[in-house]
Amino acid sequence: MAADVKTAQPLQYYRKFIEKDVRPDERTLEEFRPTVLNIGCVTTAEGSALVKLGNTTVMCGIKAEIASPKTEEPKKGYIVPNVELGPLCSILFRPGPPGDQAQRLSQFTNDVITHSCCINKEDLCIVPGKYVWVLYCDMVCLNYDGNISDACVLALLAALKNTSLPKVVWDEDTETIETDHNTTTQLNIICEPVSSTFSIFDNEVLLVDPTVEEESLSTGEVTIVTIDDKICMIRKPGGSPLTPQQLDLCINRSFIRSQEVIRLIQETLNSVDR
Amino acid sequence: MADHVGDASKIVYMPGDFVENVKVSEKTSKAILGPGLKQDGDTVMVTKPGLLRHKEPNIYWIDCHSRRYVPVRGESVIGIVCAKAGDVFRVDIGGSEQASLSYLSFESATKRNRPDVKVGDIVYAKLLVANKDMEPELVCIDSTGRSSGMGVIGRNGGFLYKCSLNLIRKILSTNCPLLSRLGKQIPFETTVGMNGLIYVRARTTVQTITIINAIAASEYMDNDQIISMCKKLADTFTMVQ
Amino acid sequence: MKMSEQKSGSQNVLRLMVCEMAHLSRPDGSATTFQGDTCVMTSVYGPTEVRMAKEQIDRTTVEVVYKPKSGLPSCAEKSLENIICNTCENILLGNAHPRSAINITVQEVQDSGSFTACCINCCCLALLDAGIGMKCTMAAVNCCIDNEENIIVDPTRKEEEQSQAVLTFAFDSKDKNIITVITKGKYSQQQFQKCLVLCRDASDSVFKFYRETMEKKLSKT
Repeated sequence: MAADVKTAQPLQYYRKFIEKDVRPDERTLEEFRPTVLNIGCVTTAEGSALVKLGNTTVMCGIKAEIASPKTEEPKKGYIVPNVELGPLCSILFRPGPPGDQAQRLSQFTNDVITHSCCINKEDLCIVPGKYVWVLYCDMVCLNYDGNISDACVLALLAALKNTSLPKVVWDEDTETIETDHNTTTQLNIICEPVSSTFSIFDNEVLLVDPTVEEESLSTGEVTIVTIDDKICMIRKPGGSPLTPQQLDLCINRSFIRSQEVIRLIQETLNSVDR
Repeated sequence: MADHVGDASKIVYMPGDFVENVKVSEKTSKAILGPGLKQDGDTVMVTKPGLLRHKEPNIYWIDCHSRRYVPVRGESVIGIVCAKAGDVFRVDIGGSEQASLSYLSFESATKRNRPDVKVGDIVYAKLLVANKDMEPELVCIDSTGRSSGMGVIGRNGGFLYKCSLNLIRKILSTNCPLLSRLGKQIPFETTVGMNGLIYVRARTTVQTITIINAIAASEYMDNDQIISMCKKLADTFTMVQ
Repeated sequence: MKMSEQKSGSQNVLRLMVCEMAHLSRPDGSATTFQGDTCVMTSVYGPTEVRMAKEQIDRTTVEVVYKPKSGLPSCAEKSLENIICNTCENILLGNAHPRSAINITVQEVQDSGSFTACCINCCCLALLDAGIGMKCTMAAVNCCIDNEENIIVDPTRKEEEQSQAVLTFAFDSKDKNIITVITKGKYSQQQFQKCLVLCRDASDSVFKFYRETMEKKLSKT
């Protein structure tokens, strides 16, 4: 009976739960799903991480390459994030070139890295004007169950913390570079951006960490990226209007979440080192 | 559609505004809300920008400037036949969907006696079915089965011109002197479709184009300016002939 | 169609806004908006035919195409299109025209600061020109926080580049609630609240500008 209502009238089904301040998966409206983090799982990559946010699974791998810098910034390396949403993760996606949502997520992660300044791009410089490190960050979604943005940002941050670049020696006489894979230096991460996504249900109720069903019923979405006690980015592209008080509640909740996530990353890194 | 009620209302209403003091009729205690107005609980909300018009006792609507036609049941429109599909013609009336016009909706048309309509012809028809959820349907006969001026037009030449919807409403209103004054000097035949299309045919090409230009120019003119424009045209024509 | 004159970049006021409507003969609605030196041109077609793949049975499909001044569209442009599309979808009466599309094309003419806000305002004016049913109008305001912690509403491009954060807000005309927020750079929660309050007050002038523009357009008839 409940399954029939859920298929035929999903909105009514959800409303019955929301009235009692709970969701069908037994979470409260402010609870994130259990987050599992695995760092350093891909040995062939310079850095990698696997994130499971409930059922949503994202794997991030970072490969470093040496290339010539952009002409307008000869002393800075660059980071190229790319999000892949393939048919593997959900029936919503078709094989082929990246769709709208994948492009938006790639742009979003790019904005998070640029505006948070979590990496000093001058650290990636080998020889100014000639050789710099380029970090290709590929985030592949393995299971799509909503809230991809949070999972991607977390996977990217964890993978960057795990990244170590080989030592490069620049020989001035022969004008060549030699890479020494035995000595590696850890990438220096200045700050840790953490993202929290809220979906707006029925123009009024805010749900934290929506699943894919909640996303399909939502009337709007807000994503807040925080670093320590500052806000790095707030993205609310249209959707139901919110009052400033509701936005404040979201910001407070994201600060709490950011502390939980940083603790999680720290614990995982410690266990990897051991 | 009721007449424009003068220039009494000069207040421009924007979407999201509320209309106050809406009068209701004594008999039915209801107010009739036309295009651009919507009922929002107990209040009347404006959904299109424009001037508020009121016809006594209880009819209100917003006079909005637009070019895109949205099909409304009962309106007479000019359509262009785009395709034949089975037993219906597909007619482009300028809306979001093409309308269908059945073979049998013409005067004295039967299953054996097909109407002489080809792709590319212009038809003057009435909307029988027009709502937001269904494909619009046209007919070229009235309820008694007579064509009363509807059907294929423009077989003998003429000019089809697209203009904005408010110009059409202005021309068709009873107090607009444009068509009658133009007709006094230059005899012409015209069909006006509520979807923004006007068909004009006069004796010569020059006269046809003059009339079209006069109609287009009258978009931003009030009645006095229209009368003086027609007078000027009349003088030019008497000089030429 | 002009607002009273203000200097660019001063604390709580917007730059001069100018708008020209219905200057393109083919689209159902068009508007060119100047905010100081920033200029955007928008055209609207709708309600019109929609491709089967994008058809929605209960509402209108809004499609936005953004054309930068030079270069091919890339991911950043897609992001701006998504922002404009979701913002416009929110104010349009979607249920009035199901299985139809409203196509909005936004052309960048000049970017001298407050670009996202100018795009959203221009879209709203073009939708008003086309006479498509809307629940309310929307006004967007940009502001930035410079290195001395001052908040500048409607900054110029130079001020934006030298600032530590740029925030764009879009408000609806009914309750002045927040439809859209897009921010770049780092700032504290208190600074965010201050920017929100300043931009909300500044949006009054944008709504007033819309009204004056429509009055001028309709006074011609």
